[in-house]
Amino acid sequence: MRTFVGFRTLVIREIYRFLSVFTQTIFPPIVSSFLYIFIFGFSLGARIQEVQGVSYLTFLIPGLIMMYVIEGSYTNASSSLFISRWANNIEELLVTPLSYWEMVAAMLIGGLVRSFVVATGVYGVSLLFVQFPVAHPLTVFYFFVFVSLTFSAVGMMIALFAEEFEHLTIMTTFVITPLVFLGGVFNSMDMVPEALQWITRYNPIFYMVSGIRYGMLGVSDASVGFSMWVVFLLFLSLFIVTVYMFRIGFKLRK
Amino acid sequence: MTPAIAIQHLTKFYRRFRAIDDISFEVAPGEFFGFLGPNGAGKTTTISVVTGLANYQRGRVSVLGHDVRRDYRLARAQIGLVPQEFNFDPFLSAEQILTFEAGYFGLLREEARKRAHELLNLFGLWDKRREGYKKLSGGMKRRLLIARALMHQPKILILDEPTAGVDLELRYWLWDFIRELNQKGTTIFLTTHYIEEAEKLCSRIGVIHQGKIVALEPTENLIRTMSGEEVEFYLKNKITERPKELESLSLIYEDGGKKLRFEDKGDAISKVLKALCHRGTEVERIGVRRPTLEDAFLKLIRKK
Repeated sequence: MRTFVGFRTLVIREIYRFLSVFTQTIFPPIVSSFLYIFIFGFSLGARIQEVQGVSYLTFLIPGLIMMYVIEGSYTNASSSLFISRWANNIEELLVTPLSYWEMVAAMLIGGLVRSFVVATGVYGVSLLFVQFPVAHPLTVFYFFVFVSLTFSAVGMMIALFAEEFEHLTIMTTFVITPLVFLGGVFNSMDMVPEALQWITRYNPIFYMVSGIRYGMLGVSDASVGFSMWVVFLLFLSLFIVTVYMFRIGFKLRK
Repeated sequence: MTPAIAIQHLTKFYRRFRAIDDISFEVAPGEFFGFLGPNGAGKTTTISVVTGLANYQRGRVSVLGHDVRRDYRLARAQIGLVPQEFNFDPFLSAEQILTFEAGYFGLLREEARKRAHELLNLFGLWDKRREGYKKLSGGMKRRLLIARALMHQPKILILDEPTAGVDLELRYWLWDFIRELNQKGTTIFLTTHYIEEAEKLCSRIGVIHQGKIVALEPTENLIRTMSGEEVEFYLKNKITERPKELESLSLIYEDGGKKLRFEDKGDAISKVLKALCHRGTEVERIGVRRPTLEDAFLKLIRKK
């Protein structure tokens, strides 16, 4: 049995899926990132003093990229899997000899590739407004990979729990977006009240934003080593849970 | 010889409802096996357990010796499933539906393309290969389902009501096609509502009713043991008085006494003829009605 072929085919299918609807998956985040950068970073940001030693516009870019990485990977995995459940074509996959971890890993990679395309686009847009050398490219790569895999896994779990399409957006509206906004995308920790700073320490997205900001700018709110652990352990545990849900056939098998 | 499909004491619950109740049977390699039962009897559930689409609580199920839980990858690699409902990937074209499915089963891209082209031609779908499945007619979708299941050349083909809602021409074409596939060595496991289909195609039949196997026999035996042939006597003039000596035969009088119907058991025919002759009643015409699987099936279900 050529197992790698099956795995590769599913990865290609996942990439093909989001590319075939690129007007819904790739363009919107790039357009909205342009607006964010133009309004908040370029126009308003010019009136904000330096944050952590860099201009507000420069400070904003890494957080914004992380925001789109999170959104892109979550949306990709959640909609891909939920549509498969909804149209029942998940059965096409479940009857194949792919192992459960291969099914999950291939879908996670789909989310990874989509967020890579989106992040590259957002970075490209940012270059129209500001250019700066990337301080630690490998660190950027590390956070990009593990954050997008983590949120792809979150997306898959929600897609398994969801009964309707709205359930996918409820998670975005009430959990992910608030955590992103409170996770330091638009502000440094010393710009918010102390109580909120304390709460933020329990927000995993804070460490993701911090990590990529360190990678791109060399400055951050949290220790980069600690952030790396947080992201890695979060990914590992969510990956294990997702594979387990596939193994027991949670809402997949009758 | 290792059975193609072996089911031992399979029990499956949907919450508290016992959908499958301790069933056991085997399907031999190369066999054409029919699985019959009324709606909701447990046919699709049984198939789902074998193919990995349903969990189960008790029992053991294996495919060519591979346990469907422990060795699920090996077990699934042997099977091609034609489900009852269309479950195509909405993002793919007809050709991609075939090549991607083949890829999941480990076929390299070139092999998959070649095989897809073969099957698209064979199933008359070539002109539609670039269309999404939603643009295909019902019959085309049905053919695409079968083509998809055959992409990896499975040793066992499981068809869940493949001819439901299919026009006559396609139905006969499919029958020939599946029969030929079976003659070439593919084990066929077929569920159907159409008794005629099972009768024409299957060498052995299992009947499931309310989650239990109620019959498991070669098709011929099932028909023969369940009901004998029926004889119909059309009379010239009607019988007004029912002959007492024929009471044990449970004759059915129809058409105001101008027609007699009874089961051809033992010396029933000569008894009836004698009685009629004795009364001077002439027989105009004699008809024989061969029992169908439907008769057998209905009898079985009623008995339970």
